[in-house]
Amino acid sequence: MAEVLIADDSEFMRNLLREILEEDHTIVGEVENGVEAVEVFKEQEPDLVMMDIVMPIRDGIEATDEIKTAAPGANVIMCTSVGQEEKMKEAVKAGADGYITKPFQKPSVMEAIQDVVPS
Amino acid sequence: MKVDVQSLGTFNQLAHEGAKQATQSMSQMTGIDATVDVTKISLVDRADIGEELGDDTFVGVQFGFEGALGGETVLVFDEISSEKIVEALPGATADPEMAQSSVKEIGNIMMSGFIDGWADYLETAIEHTPPEYIERTGANVLPKAPDASGSDQVFVFRSEVNWLGESVCFYIYMLPEYESLVTLMENHADAGDGAIPVEKLEVFNQMTRKGSEKAAENVEMMTGIQTESEVSQISFCPIEDVPKQIGNDTYVGTVVEFTGTPSGFLLVLFDEASAVTIAEALMPMDPSGDGLTQEHEAAIEELGNIMTSGFVDGWANVLQQSVDHTPPRLVHDMGRAIVDPLAAQLGQHQQHAFIIDSQMKTDEVEFTSEIHALPNEAELREALDKLQVERADQTEANAEEIF
Repeated sequence: MAEVLIADDSEFMRNLLREILEEDHTIVGEVENGVEAVEVFKEQEPDLVMMDIVMPIRDGIEATDEIKTAAPGANVIMCTSVGQEEKMKEAVKAGADGYITKPFQKPSVMEAIQDVVPS
Repeated sequence: MKVDVQSLGTFNQLAHEGAKQATQSMSQMTGIDATVDVTKISLVDRADIGEELGDDTFVGVQFGFEGALGGETVLVFDEISSEKIVEALPGATADPEMAQSSVKEIGNIMMSGFIDGWADYLETAIEHTPPEYIERTGANVLPKAPDASGSDQVFVFRSEVNWLGESVCFYIYMLPEYESLVTLMENHADAGDGAIPVEKLEVFNQMTRKGSEKAAENVEMMTGIQTESEVSQISFCPIEDVPKQIGNDTYVGTVVEFTGTPSGFLLVLFDEASAVTIAEALMPMDPSGDGLTQEHEAAIEELGNIMTSGFVDGWANVLQQSVDHTPPRLVHDMGRAIVDPLAAQLGQHQQHAFIIDSQMKTDEVEFTSEIHALPNEAELREALDKLQVERADQTEANAEEIF
């Protein structure tokens, strides 16, 4: 059971992800922007961050870069509506470990998590 | 072939002036006070022409024209407007044949005024056939667009005329032959910075259709409601006319500002009933209240976000660059009120605007949605210049190949 931090500015999407994940994992926090994601990551040191890209204040790619710089062993899956190749490359460069495009269904989320944080 | 923005503007203005002339002719004959609300030139798929007419019955007066510009044009009234015009004419009669003849003649006079402006501008004569009276439903009232060699897309001029103080309107459609219009536009084009290759505009339109289909797929995947992309077109009009295109109905939806080449705004709009329907299809549990609650709005916000990405990702992938966008801002207002500030912002740098429109709907439940993109005009030209036509089908990126 992995400890997961959810970073998404949409309350709707946070709720949806929580419902998908909480049966098998522990949700240690839910945040609305990249700044909060970095802060809560440093406090909680979760096994995994599910990170949106388009968020206010600081976007998910910048936050991933900061998390990976501070903790190279951190696991981050981008969980975003953005399906652009250039963005995917930016996410790889920032150190992201996986990429799920919204809309998603539970099996694809669980599969991506299993790839990054094997149980 | 290239057209420039200035000649697109000039031709749009010609159509607008023609519609004004036609409207003045009608006002003189009937005393009905009417104004031309908006005129736009659209590049649209042949199969989508007149989709906005729905399934209502229309009366039309149609004729062909030829000369420097060839094609078909039609004046379209809904049934109520047609009856009101007949009643307003001197010597009004209840005889159906006479009524039909009246409509035909008024259409003839109006449309002659419409065509004359083009002939004068082009300093040539444009001949037209005798008018034909038609009565059909929806898009069937429009003539078939003239064949365009090697293209399924056609240019359509459309003017909407509203009667002051009445909730009725009529439309003027002009469907020029593709080759003759493009040749005319090319002859009037300034081959400098403002020129746009027509072929690339068509390719961009196809990309937009794919973006719209992707957005519809996303809606279907999230809600389980089978959704189809209906219409996709690029229109061009003066910036001050942009808000009129969206109309006065109340919408719920999202607005995002996108940056990159091009930058601009993207709106995902639902009518209020559709917003409630689609939000409830998204919610994992029953809403806490009737109508549009905060839960509905949160669902719409996220749906707008996902539809926006579905729409613009294809552009980014084909153009091999990223298009960033702000988080979605929820809007709930009259269409014009939503678009006014966006058009004003764009209007600081440009006089005309390209509007990229898509519609989607479903037969399953009450649901329609519109996507409108308002790109920066100069940056859209830049993007079209960079567009590699052979990459047009590479709208999707595969994350698994990259990770």
